[in-house]
Amino acid sequence: MDPLPPLTKGAHATHCRRCLMGLPGSQVDIDPSKLALAFYCLGSLDLTGQFSIESTKTSDVELWRQWVWAQQTQGPRGTGFRPGNYMTADRGELPNLYSEGSDNPPHVIVTYTALLSLAILRDEFAQLDRPGIIKFLQACQNEDGSFSSEPYGGDADLRTTYCAFAISSMLDDWSGVRVENALNFIETCRTYEGGYGQAPFAEASGGPTYCALASIFLASKSDRLTDGERKQTIRWLVQNQVPSGGYRGRTNKDADACYCFWCGASLSILGAGQLTCELSLSKFIASCQFKFGGISKAPNEHPDPYHTYLSLAAVALCPPPNAGVGHNWKLQSLDPLLNANEATSRWARKHIPI
Amino acid sequence: MDHPLFADRPEWVDVVPLQQYEGVTPLAPIFYTPAYKDATNYFRGIVKTGEKSARVLDLTENIIRQNPAHYSAWQYRYKTLMALGAPLDVELQLMDELAVKYLKTYQVWHHRRLLVQQTERPGPELEFIANALQIDTKNYHTWSYRQWILAHFNDDTVWSRELQFVESMLDNDVRNNSAWHHRFFVVFQSGVRKGDEARDEVVRRELTFVKAKIAIAPNNASAWNYLRGVLDHSKTPYSNLEVFVAPYSLPHSAQEDATPEDVIDLENLLPSPGAQLPCVAAIEFMADIYESREDPMKATELWKSLAHEYDTMRNKYWEYRIKEAILNVR
Repeated sequence: MDPLPPLTKGAHATHCRRCLMGLPGSQVDIDPSKLALAFYCLGSLDLTGQFSIESTKTSDVELWRQWVWAQQTQGPRGTGFRPGNYMTADRGELPNLYSEGSDNPPHVIVTYTALLSLAILRDEFAQLDRPGIIKFLQACQNEDGSFSSEPYGGDADLRTTYCAFAISSMLDDWSGVRVENALNFIETCRTYEGGYGQAPFAEASGGPTYCALASIFLASKSDRLTDGERKQTIRWLVQNQVPSGGYRGRTNKDADACYCFWCGASLSILGAGQLTCELSLSKFIASCQFKFGGISKAPNEHPDPYHTYLSLAAVALCPPPNAGVGHNWKLQSLDPLLNANEATSRWARKHIPI
Repeated sequence: MDHPLFADRPEWVDVVPLQQYEGVTPLAPIFYTPAYKDATNYFRGIVKTGEKSARVLDLTENIIRQNPAHYSAWQYRYKTLMALGAPLDVELQLMDELAVKYLKTYQVWHHRRLLVQQTERPGPELEFIANALQIDTKNYHTWSYRQWILAHFNDDTVWSRELQFVESMLDNDVRNNSAWHHRFFVVFQSGVRKGDEARDEVVRRELTFVKAKIAIAPNNASAWNYLRGVLDHSKTPYSNLEVFVAPYSLPHSAQEDATPEDVIDLENLLPSPGAQLPCVAAIEFMADIYESREDPMKATELWKSLAHEYDTMRNKYWEYRIKEAILNVR
C-alpha cells in the first residue's frame, strides 16, 4: 500500500490567507456569502494552528474584527449579520441599519459564521446585540417550524435550522426558537434511507443529515431519535464511504471532500465516529490537496476555502492512525456540534452569553 | 460583455449610481470587472429610490447573467415583476434558459417557485423539469423543485404520469438514487393515488419492481435501500424476502444447479451468470434476517465474512454489528 503523503498544512493556510487578501472577479458569486467564506478561511488557519492571536499581526486581527462587526445590522425584525457590503451604498444611509422590507437585511447562516469568526479572533463580544439576535431568530421561524434565511423570506431548509440552533446554543438562550416546532420540521425531512433531505420530501444527503443531527443534539433532544432510527442512520452514513476512501453525499454518487466532514461528523455526533476508516479517509483527502495549497472537492479540481476547511475539520475529527508519519496530520481538536476548534468553541460559549 | 455600460446609456442618465460602501478594510475583497461594478452601482441607485420599472428588469437580468448567485437582484426583480403586473409566461421562458445555464444555483429555482405560485400552472413545469433532468440527471435542486410542484399542486393531473416518468428515469440509469428516492416519495410519502387504494397490492407491486431491478444490477445500493424502505414502511419482515435474497448472498460456485427455463420464478429472479457475486448488500440483508430470528451465530458468521473478505473497508462497522448483536443477546 502506498504510504500516506503529508498533510501540507502550511500551504493550505497560505491558500486561505491569500483568499482573505482578495478574490478575482470570476468569484463574484461569493459576494452574497462573503462572511461565510471568511469563516472557512479563518477556521482553516485556526485548525492548522497557523493562526493565533499572538502570532498574527495585531493590526490584522483588529481590522478583521472591525470588518465582521461592520456587518452587524439592526432593524425592525431584530439584529444579525449581513454577508458583506455588496448591497450597501456609500451615501445617504446609515450602513448598520435596515428598514422594513429592506433588500439588505441580516442573514441567519451568515450570523452563525460571524459569531464563530469573532470567536476565532478571540473577540470579547462587547458589541453584540443579544436581545436583537433573539428577536431576529423569532422573526425568521416559519409556521412549519423551519427558518427562513432572512426575515423577509428566502430559502428555508435544514441549514438555516442548524444555524438558528447553533446561535441559540452559543447564546445559551433558546427563547429565539420554538424548539419542538423546529424538531417536528426536522423529522419531516427524514427519509426511508436513514438520512435527511434538505427540505420535506427531498433525497437524503450528507449536509442536511449533519444539520439535522447536530440540531437535535445541540438542543439535547437525542431522545427524539429511536434506537432503530439511530442504527439506520449509522448504516446509511457508513455506506457512504466509498472505495476511494472519501465520503459521498448521496447513495451511488462520487466522493466529495466536504462530505468527509458532513458524514464523518454525523457519525461522531451519534457516538459512532470510530466507524470511519480513517486511513482511507486521509488518503482521499491527501489526493484532493492542490500542489500550491488548498483542498478541492475531488482530485484534480480547483481548491477553495469551503472544501479546505471541511476537509481539515474531517481530519481533525478522524485523524489517521498515529496522526500519520511524523504526526503531521495532527490538527487542533474539533467540536463536531458547532463545527469549530474546541478552544474556539469554548471561547464562544464563555463570551457570547450575557 | 457586448452590452454598453449603464453609465454610457442615455436612458439611464437620470439614475445616480451608488458605489459599494467599504467603511473599513474589507475581508476577501473581490476585484470586480468594470461591467459588474457598473451594473451593481446602478442597481444600488435603483434600490435606493425604490424604482420598479421595465428598465429594472433589464438591469437585474444583466446582473444575474454576470452573477446568478446575486440574491438581492433576484429578489428585487421579483418585486418589480409584481409591481408592473408583467406577463409571467415571458419571465418563465427567460427562466427556462437561465435555469439550464445555472442549474446549480439555488436562486434560479427559488425565483421559479415564486412565479409558479402566481401562474398556478404546474403542467409546463413538469415538462420543463423532465428536460432539465436529461441534462443533469441527479441535480438536487431540480428534483426538489419537482417534489415541491407535485406536493404543492397535488391534484390528479399532476400525479397522473409520475410513476411512468420515474420508470423512464430508472430505465436510463438504474443506479440513479434521486429517481429511486422520487419513486418512494410518489408511492408512499405523498398520499394515495387513484387506483392505488389497495395498499397491500401496492407494496406487492413495488417489491416485484425492485426485485426485478436488483436482478438486472445486483450491486446497486439504491435498489437495496429502496427494498428496505418498502419493507420498513409496510412493516413486512425481512425474512419474507429470504428466497429471493439468498442466492445473491452466495458465490457462483454455491448456486444450485440452474433451474430449467420453463420453471423460472418471475417473483424471485435468480442472479444472471455474469453477475458479480456474492453481493455485499445481500449478505448484509441475510445477516439482518438471522439477527431478527435471534440467531446471532449465523449473523455473526456473515458479518465476519464482510469484515474480512467482501467489504473490508467497513470492517469496523461489521465488528460493531457483531458486538451490538452479542450485547442484545445478553
